Amino acid sequence: MTTTTLDADQLGHLRHWDNLSRRLPHDWSGMQGRGLGEDDFGSYRFQLAYMVYGLALTHRHRLPAAPGVFRPTIERLITKLLEPDVWMYWRDVSRGGSVFNAHLSDRLHEEWDPVVRDNIMYSAYVQSCALLHDQLFADDRYAEPGSLSFRHWSFFWGGQEKVFAYDRDTLNDHLYWQMVENGYVGVACEPNCVFQICNQPAILGFRLHDLITGGNRAEEVVAGYERVWADFGRLDERGHYAMMVSEDSRAVRGNDALSPWVDAWCGALMSMWNREFVREHYPRQVADFLVPGPDGTLSVRSAPAMQVMGQTVVSDTCDTGWVAAWASEMGDRATLDGLLAHADRFMGPKRVDGGLHYPRNDTPTDADGHRTLIEPMTGNVLLGYARLNVADGLWGLYNRPWDAAHHAEPALVEVERDVEVSRAEVVDGVLHARLRRDRTVPGGGTVTLDRLAPGTRLRLDGQEVTGRRDGDALVVEVPDGPAVDLVAAP
Amino acid sequence: MTAPPIRATYSLVDHHGTPVTEGSYAGRWQLVQFGFTACKVVCPRALAKLGAALDALERTSGPTPLVPLYVSVDPERDTPDVLAAFLAASHPRFTGLTGTPEQVDDAKRAFRVFARRRDTPDGYEVPHTAITYLLDAAGRPAHHWPDHATAETIADDLRRLLAG
Repeated sequence: MTTTTLDADQLGHLRHWDNLSRRLPHDWSGMQGRGLGEDDFGSYRFQLAYMVYGLALTHRHRLPAAPGVFRPTIERLITKLLEPDVWMYWRDVSRGGSVFNAHLSDRLHEEWDPVVRDNIMYSAYVQSCALLHDQLFADDRYAEPGSLSFRHWSFFWGGQEKVFAYDRDTLNDHLYWQMVENGYVGVACEPNCVFQICNQPAILGFRLHDLITGGNRAEEVVAGYERVWADFGRLDERGHYAMMVSEDSRAVRGNDALSPWVDAWCGALMSMWNREFVREHYPRQVADFLVPGPDGTLSVRSAPAMQVMGQTVVSDTCDTGWVAAWASEMGDRATLDGLLAHADRFMGPKRVDGGLHYPRNDTPTDADGHRTLIEPMTGNVLLGYARLNVADGLWGLYNRPWDAAHHAEPALVEVERDVEVSRAEVVDGVLHARLRRDRTVPGGGTVTLDRLAPGTRLRLDGQEVTGRRDGDALVVEVPDGPAVDLVAAP
Repeated sequence: MTAPPIRATYSLVDHHGTPVTEGSYAGRWQLVQFGFTACKVVCPRALAKLGAALDALERTSGPTPLVPLYVSVDPERDTPDVLAAFLAASHPRFTGLTGTPEQVDDAKRAFRVFARRRDTPDGYEVPHTAITYLLDAAGRPAHHWPDHATAETIADDLRRLLAG
């Protein structure tokens, strides 16, 4: 294993995600985008889910011996993902009636259960995030019946409490059978709209479920998906990703506006099971979206806003963030560095409570024409995701999963909030960690080590320490001051 | 092994023209495959595979109370006579089922089968999901296999499931 030490920016993103995960219920400050409600590409569901994905990638590829850094944050984010604020949009969107699907609204009804039909743009994230948790931490938390429940009750309206109870297995099963019924083309987001992008997380979910249960649904779904989309054409006439297909007419909508997010989001995800195809087309596709700037900086040009029914469509494209995430997955370091350099220079990075993010800015450019517009999805989540991801990061999650041996290795199983972990890996049976006590946030200042071989000795910056025994685990206090190296060797 | 979440009900006619439902085969397990006789790739492969699985099963377990059914998703072309001729020539173990388009649509919905007519230069084809279903002796869903399941896997599973 190559030694990985997170830098200050990477640690700042992790801290920001942790801070967001600790927000009080219904506090979405700093997460509201330009689009109305939760209908859009910058919605809470996407921000929450891609924080989970980013944490999963960081744990898998950069801090493999620190489940205690990631697990509580992921669990809090999943709890937020289940809040009605995140899924209540479906009660309305389920009725159809989008501009190009107006003909459906007479035959669709209000649907409260947010995963029972269509809405893969939400259900697949609940499925895949829960399964990421259970697969990465070798845990059955979300196998518990009702562990993924969607509840709504209001004193003021709505009648009896509505509860739709699922778990990782029943939800995975439900999505699988929707795929089967649709002939593997995918499940719709808004009624009748089957997006390539939003079916990729479901495929990740199937794969993770297979890894846990020994099934092979991902293989089946991918084979069927490949066959169907080969007929439609995964790419449009100009070589960009086909955005969606209409279920009823089988009409394919290409990336007609040359929107960066369409290619970038799809490519970043599809690479997990279709890497060669994605990599083959990436250089030509991404070149259409990049704008060179000063000193090697790169920005992303967005497509003009759509004009429909006399209205200008206002939406969070998240173009910058998705192109950065795509470049990170492709291992295109030059593009990623250029995009991050642009963001750092022109998009107002800010640190709050130790967390790094780029606050929303609706102003398209500065006086010199440099892009300044940035949405919460990009500024809270995707730039951090891109900075923390590694080349083939999602591909690795999908194709190189941890086995039981990993979960038997020594690890930091609990990490107090005020401890920053910039390294955590096991090399030849020895746990190496780099820790810093951060007095600017509350916490007890300790880490808990478990799965240690008998006779393991601990050293902090070379000095032997004993730690405090807690059952089989050892609790170690992290001293004030600069970062220290912890070594746990048998 | 979990039972598939399907209704598994149907009201069709077999390739002799006899009306049948899922209750007609009470006391025997039903191995159900949807397809169409003009299918060039998926059905021939699936039917041959199921034949091999049933051969393997019989070699180890002897005759079993199981009826293999081939349900057409192309009722306009697949009349009982067409089904009878097709199966007699290549897959004589199977009983073919067909019906009116409405009856076939009901069966597809009950088994959550996707099939949709598509025009081709030569006429039309009916792309369809190629899942194999197993109903128990009471006609209840018991198991299913995806298209890529091998004959060996299916034979092993059948051996275990039929043994109770």
